[in-house]
Amino acid sequence: MAAPLVKALLRCSDLTLGVRSAALRFPGLTQVRWSRYSAEFRDPLIDKEYYRKPLAELTEEEKFDRELKKTQPIKAAPSAHTSSVFEDPVISKFINMMMKGGNKVLARSLMTQTLEAVKRKQFEKFHAAASEEQANIERNPYTIFHQALKNCEPVIGLAPILKGGRFYQVPVPLSDRRRRFLAMKWMITECREKKHRRMLMPEKLSKELLEAFHNQGPVVKRKHDLHKMAEANRALAHYRWW
Amino acid sequence: MDSVGTMLKGVASLVSRVRKLDPGHLRLGTQAPQSLAAQLDNQVSFESPRAISCTNENDPAKHEEKHEGLHYNLPLQDVKTVFPHGLPPRYAMQMKTFNEACLMVRKPALELLHYLKNTNFAHPAIRYVLYGEKGTGKTLSLCHIIHFCAKQDWLILHIPDAHLWVKNCRDLLQSTYNKQRFDQPLEASVWLKNFKTTNERFLSQIKIQEKYVWNKRESIEKGSSLGEVVEQGITRVRNATDAVGIVLKELKRQSSLGIFRLLVAVDGVNALWGRTTLKREDKSPIAPEELALIHNLRKMVRNDWNGGAIVLTLSQTGSLFKPRNACLPQELLGKEGFDALDPFIPIQVANYSPKEFESCIQYYMENSWLQHEKAHTEEGKKELLFLSNGNPGQLERLCAYL
Repeated sequence: MAAPLVKALLRCSDLTLGVRSAALRFPGLTQVRWSRYSAEFRDPLIDKEYYRKPLAELTEEEKFDRELKKTQPIKAAPSAHTSSVFEDPVISKFINMMMKGGNKVLARSLMTQTLEAVKRKQFEKFHAAASEEQANIERNPYTIFHQALKNCEPVIGLAPILKGGRFYQVPVPLSDRRRRFLAMKWMITECREKKHRRMLMPEKLSKELLEAFHNQGPVVKRKHDLHKMAEANRALAHYRWW
Repeated sequence: MDSVGTMLKGVASLVSRVRKLDPGHLRLGTQAPQSLAAQLDNQVSFESPRAISCTNENDPAKHEEKHEGLHYNLPLQDVKTVFPHGLPPRYAMQMKTFNEACLMVRKPALELLHYLKNTNFAHPAIRYVLYGEKGTGKTLSLCHIIHFCAKQDWLILHIPDAHLWVKNCRDLLQSTYNKQRFDQPLEASVWLKNFKTTNERFLSQIKIQEKYVWNKRESIEKGSSLGEVVEQGITRVRNATDAVGIVLKELKRQSSLGIFRLLVAVDGVNALWGRTTLKREDKSPIAPEELALIHNLRKMVRNDWNGGAIVLTLSQTGSLFKPRNACLPQELLGKEGFDALDPFIPIQVANYSPKEFESCIQYYMENSWLQHEKAHTEEGKKELLFLSNGNPGQLERLCAYL
């Protein structure tokens, strides 16, 4: 759980051209994750509303932006990033994490089957409940998904710090993206490992998502365990120097 | 001003009819579509979106062109008797989730209903073949026709999927009646059970006109009812295929007498003339005509009897050794099948028209099936139309996870 992106490897300073990135470069450190694009490439903007605005409505900055785009090179948009109204970056990230061997078709179909399973289960509960409780039952699979992942995010994490020849687990703050990553990773690992051999992923994942939505279940328990460990080791907090 | 008054009166009568429907269906908070209801929304605070996508006319005999695109409700009790095995699995899931069975009235079904209402029972039975691309609604149109015939008190011979009889059969017995043919006890007994559920009342009325011998000790006399043959087939699974053969023969013989009207409905009729994936013990393939069930069904589908109608559906989805884009009768039936079925009336089932698409989306929104907030917007609907191309099956799969 080391914080910086750039990891120290070998002392290798003569890497070829084109391998530059916007991040800081420490002397003696080489980038592990690098991109084929050089620094001047801009990220693509996929937004129908932005491009549909007629010229008259643009502000000065937007007009300047448009002029700038005519000369600057832009990176290619990934094929999973669409201008569909139904697209959700959290769901796309989850699908990428579930994917094995580049089989995006399978990962996406598993995700859609999970959302459908969640929806059908909630509809069943809705029809079985009395009319007073019906307003409390959430049937939107997307809100359930987002809320469940939010409930699984840890607030504080642990990092192994070397001091005096021993590694100590020191409580450490986590960035937003690290927290989201941990929540998704725990959910997927739980569903892959702790299930019956014949149970399919959508069924297990829908069950876990519903439990996490209600703050129960094994993934939320794992988050609580992490918090307890951090609380137990809080005396070591001053070992952290960043 | 008086136009507004008449509109209000019409809406008020709608209110009383809507309130007589299931009270559980009146949902608060659904979006009213931009139409008549939206204009009157300020004056009358209830919704009538049910009037846009659903109709009160639950009797298929009274469905007309004006009901085209609207959904009608099938009572769940009827569904259990008329369709013990006939509904596609995704539709059955939808029925379970919504707690109701609603079917859309579409043009091919209306056309077929018109022909069936004007059949001349003295002439030989006419064959109607529903064909079309995958997912356009052939099986559900067939279900609409079967519901109509059940309401009109016809005897229904419904084979839900003929492809299931030519593949994945665990136990094949050599037939006792004819050494060259094979029996399929499981499939035959399951079908007999469902046939009994659908046509309870006819089984005691129809008497067989010949003596049949099952084996050395058991035989069935002339004059006993068809119900006994069916019972024998269900209890003695070994004789189930022969029981099916007897049932088909007797019904064909007696349909011209006028006691009852017979509807033969077969889904996936191209299985009868294709290839099978079944093999004998020496691994040589079996042709469809060597299966007793298929042989008897082929005789049933010939138009040498009168007093009823034959409605067939082609299907590529369960078919064997046929390419995925084959949807026309000539491609799916092959030369042999086409010649056997010739002459027939082809009825094409197409994708949703814009009106039908809108009605389908409205139906989903009324049942709160489309939970994604963007799905209620115009952009969302245009995107759904584009992604599904109006194909009913694809639209259903898309809306399932939205």
